[in-house]
Amino acid sequence: MAPPPAHRPRKKRRSEPSTTTGTITADQKPAFPFAAFFWPIKGINTSPWITLPVILMTTFLFRWTSALWPYSGMGVEPMHGDFEAQRHWMELTINLPVTHWYFHDLGWWGLDYPPLTAYHSWILGQIGWLVEPEWFRLYLSRGNDEAGLKVFMRATVAVSEYLIYIPAAVLCVRQLAKHHSVNTWDSSIALTAILMQPATILIDHGHFQYNTMMLGFTLASLASLLANRRLWSCVFFVAALGFKQMALFYAPAIAAYLAGSCIAPRLDLPRLFGIAIITVTSFAVLFLPLVLGTAYDVYRNVPLPSDATLPPLLASLPSWLVSEKGWLHPYALQLCQAIHRIFPFSRGLFEDKVANLWCAVHTSGLQKLHTYPPSLLSRAALLLTLASILPPCALLFRYPRKEILLKAFAATSWGFFLCSYQVHEKNVLLPLLPMTMLLATEGGMGKGTRAWVGFANTLACWTLFPLLTKDGLRIPYFVLTGLWSWLMGCPPFGFVTYSLPTTGSLEIEGTRDGDVVGEEGGPDVVSEILHLGVYAAMVGWHVVEAFVPPPEDKPDLWVVANVCLGAAGFGLCYLWCLWGVVEGSGMLYDVGLWKRRGGEGGKKVQ
Amino acid sequence: MADQYPTLLQCMVPATALKVLLWPAYKSTDFEVHRNWLAITHSLPLREWYYEKTSEWTLDYPPFFAYFEWLLSQTAQLGDRGMLVVQNRNYDSWQTVQFQRATVILTELVLVYALHLFVKSSSPNSKKQAHAAALSILLSPGLLIIDHIHFQYNGFLYGILILSIVLARKPSGLFASGLVFAALLCLKHIYLYLAPAYFVYLLRAYCLGPRSVFDVKLANCVKLGVGIIAVAGLAFGPFVYYGQVQQVFSRLFPFSRGLCHAYWAPNIWALYSFSDRVLIYAAPYLKLPVSSDAVNSVTRGLVGDTSFAVLPDISPRTTFVLTLAAQIPALTKLFFRPTWDNFVATLTLCAYASFLFGWHVHEKAILLVIIPFSLLALKDRRHLGAFRPLAVSGHVSLFPLLFTAMEFPIKIVYTVIWLAVFLLAFDRLAPPSEKPRVFLLDRFSLLYIAAAVPLLVYCSIVHQLMFGARYEFLPLMFISSYAAIGVVGSWLGFLVVFFTS
Repeated sequence: MAPPPAHRPRKKRRSEPSTTTGTITADQKPAFPFAAFFWPIKGINTSPWITLPVILMTTFLFRWTSALWPYSGMGVEPMHGDFEAQRHWMELTINLPVTHWYFHDLGWWGLDYPPLTAYHSWILGQIGWLVEPEWFRLYLSRGNDEAGLKVFMRATVAVSEYLIYIPAAVLCVRQLAKHHSVNTWDSSIALTAILMQPATILIDHGHFQYNTMMLGFTLASLASLLANRRLWSCVFFVAALGFKQMALFYAPAIAAYLAGSCIAPRLDLPRLFGIAIITVTSFAVLFLPLVLGTAYDVYRNVPLPSDATLPPLLASLPSWLVSEKGWLHPYALQLCQAIHRIFPFSRGLFEDKVANLWCAVHTSGLQKLHTYPPSLLSRAALLLTLASILPPCALLFRYPRKEILLKAFAATSWGFFLCSYQVHEKNVLLPLLPMTMLLATEGGMGKGTRAWVGFANTLACWTLFPLLTKDGLRIPYFVLTGLWSWLMGCPPFGFVTYSLPTTGSLEIEGTRDGDVVGEEGGPDVVSEILHLGVYAAMVGWHVVEAFVPPPEDKPDLWVVANVCLGAAGFGLCYLWCLWGVVEGSGMLYDVGLWKRRGGEGGKKVQ
Repeated sequence: MADQYPTLLQCMVPATALKVLLWPAYKSTDFEVHRNWLAITHSLPLREWYYEKTSEWTLDYPPFFAYFEWLLSQTAQLGDRGMLVVQNRNYDSWQTVQFQRATVILTELVLVYALHLFVKSSSPNSKKQAHAAALSILLSPGLLIIDHIHFQYNGFLYGILILSIVLARKPSGLFASGLVFAALLCLKHIYLYLAPAYFVYLLRAYCLGPRSVFDVKLANCVKLGVGIIAVAGLAFGPFVYYGQVQQVFSRLFPFSRGLCHAYWAPNIWALYSFSDRVLIYAAPYLKLPVSSDAVNSVTRGLVGDTSFAVLPDISPRTTFVLTLAAQIPALTKLFFRPTWDNFVATLTLCAYASFLFGWHVHEKAILLVIIPFSLLALKDRRHLGAFRPLAVSGHVSLFPLLFTAMEFPIKIVYTVIWLAVFLLAFDRLAPPSEKPRVFLLDRFSLLYIAAAVPLLVYCSIVHQLMFGARYEFLPLMFISSYAAIGVVGSWLGFLVVFFTS
């Protein structure tokens, strides 16, 4: 149960013909179409200088062609959408003094993301200003829908992603491969599958956002954890948080792992202090430009905008900090205002229709939540979230093993997504990321894991469908989701993951001396039935949604059905990840439910 | 090695996905051309099809293509009927775009089927190579750029061509092959360039006995003749009946166009024009006469009479004679050795000859060379050596078709992926040749391929930074001259390979 030694001799897995991740079937055929596309280079020593660029270019093509389609709020008066928000942030950061950034007009897409997003917008805005100043004139360029601007903005997403997310994903897959002894061929397939994940492409390159920046920093943090570079992982994780506060979904898990690794196998105080110091320093560096900008504005005597109201947070600080005369006041004000904008506690429990617990309970009519006082609701949300993330985090803290890292991340973020408040439907990308990364682990492309990863991704895209329809992205949704599930051999276009009881394939395997490891371990009967049921419901829903108008008095009926089924399915994903953490942590051995040696038989029970 | 992965169908799926994602992409006037033809064939009686001229994009394809458009219009009328009105010029509602783009994707299934037959008909020990060649055609960047972005139906038409070529592989299929090719000619007459090879091959392999040239198989001759006349009758019969043959032909062969298309196709004439431009500056030193009115006209890219400043002007007759002269040697060899491989090689050489020397050649016509050549490229390493520069130059020459910012990365990245994957795969799969290699083409072609990078960087970025919108013709001239060198080089290489094997 001890964590593996920091340095393990590299196994010569690469030369081995057999594979452990389940990309090949018992009769030596590609197990699913993704594997078929890599078939020509199987067993051939192909230079990574060829395969990697080809993979990255191919995934780029699908991103860029999705970018040809409309973005959120294209030509939609009066408010436009996320595209306008991002453009507006570029406009305001390059045109306004730093002290105005978090105070500027909240009504028109006020800046409500952490400072790294602001800096990122500032850089992109500066570049954009060089290209065409008319796109970024303060107040004048609002709601600009020019074709050239679209190309520029789309390019910034692609470039940002290829600078942060893609290298991080490559590194993370490499670390996982090293850690799980997965050969290069298999991990190339996993990498492609991860990069072709439809939800991320649809949201970032279709709908328009920069989620991959935050996800990329998270992946870099994960890769660093796997490489035992804990301090770097803190830096990257602070960057993720500093880009988008939603990275908080992961925070408990990463904290639990880091804390756990300082305590087990033995107490390691220097490590703990190192982590603490680096984290605090990273936060300081993150806010430094904001503070320096404030200092510069104080020096220049730039007044605050006339309509600025003091953030309530400021009042709760000690009076020596907040007194108008104190030299610290402007800095405290800026930081409080930034935090006030980033965490708007005053908003409701959930926004729009999102497939989480609260929305499902509310819209399905089980309980009309708006009849309860908001404070009670937010307390309930907090408690429930804590309850859902406690088991994975506690286990990760007690057994800080890299094997369970991804599943613990996934379980924690599913918990947040389902139970916390202020969740957007787009936040489903967060739990999807660690879950999809499972493909790069040992046995990750075997039927069992592949079925679950495919299930989670398809379901997530499906819950995004109402949003994507609004954006005019119906066709890219069908194309990308369909393509990915076909490539993965998952329903509705492939059923290889669900082919008949596993006992049959075990028999075949027995006759072949069990040389193909990945064949076994398809999903058990219960999850098979659940999955197929949900898939059938999704397909049925699409048919109904396309041809049957909802009843007049319930115009949102189809969306509500989507939300409820989505929440239930995500609940299943949460449970599966949680079970994976329990199983992988080795707790069951310690508690005595499983016997150490003969434990293999015990695994089959559930 | 029973199955090859990925299979044709497996490759088709992501390719189709990409093509659907390309629906909102840039589309050229060819989109409107085809929309107009939909409208003409749907709303006018057959009698008026070749007379209608509301739009400048008159119907100038042979009758089978018009019938094809009529068939498409039968489905189109179920959707947005606005696209079927002749007066609705430049009509491109989203439904129209979806419909027309979807028909390109669906009719391309003919190509998939033809390629499937091609792989199936190849011998077991060359299955692997045939499979790779088939995939390279299916995923061709040329088809992606021309059909799915620029907008045309080449996938469908080349599918029919390959079908006809594959049918000719077995003696029992020769008759059908001839008929299919005749039908293809009635769909798009650009394939006339390939007709000499078909004529010689069918004559020798189908109409004459295998032993002697004088052993005429009369039954076959009659069968083929009647068959072809029947196909042509189906196509042109109604127009003969209305007495419109002359009008139809004047639409099909507009001889009033200039030597070079607006953008020079990378052929001999591009090099010729390029030399002429260079000579304008060199002429004073060489004491050559310069025709002053031509100086300003050549590169302006106006469709019309091309005149040269220093070099002698070219007449259509010259190009015709040169084309024929370039085709005859290959045809002669085919006549005496009528094997299927020689047939495909002759097809390729005929296409080369007409592309290089023809009158008013479009850059898109390079597919006429690349696609038949792809079927042979993996025969051995010598063939591959000649194919490589063509694969690069042919596709690079298509880049100017797309000039919008959004499509720029698509054309470049897709082509680079295709070149990387297929040239490497071909390199691995091509068997060593039986004969020694004649000359060191490889070094030349590597250098040539490498030169594409700075050229494209200059044309797409540096030129604009240096000159802005001035000298717009310069990048185009460089690209077409660069590509012309590659096409001519690969032609010479292939001639050597063909006549020494």
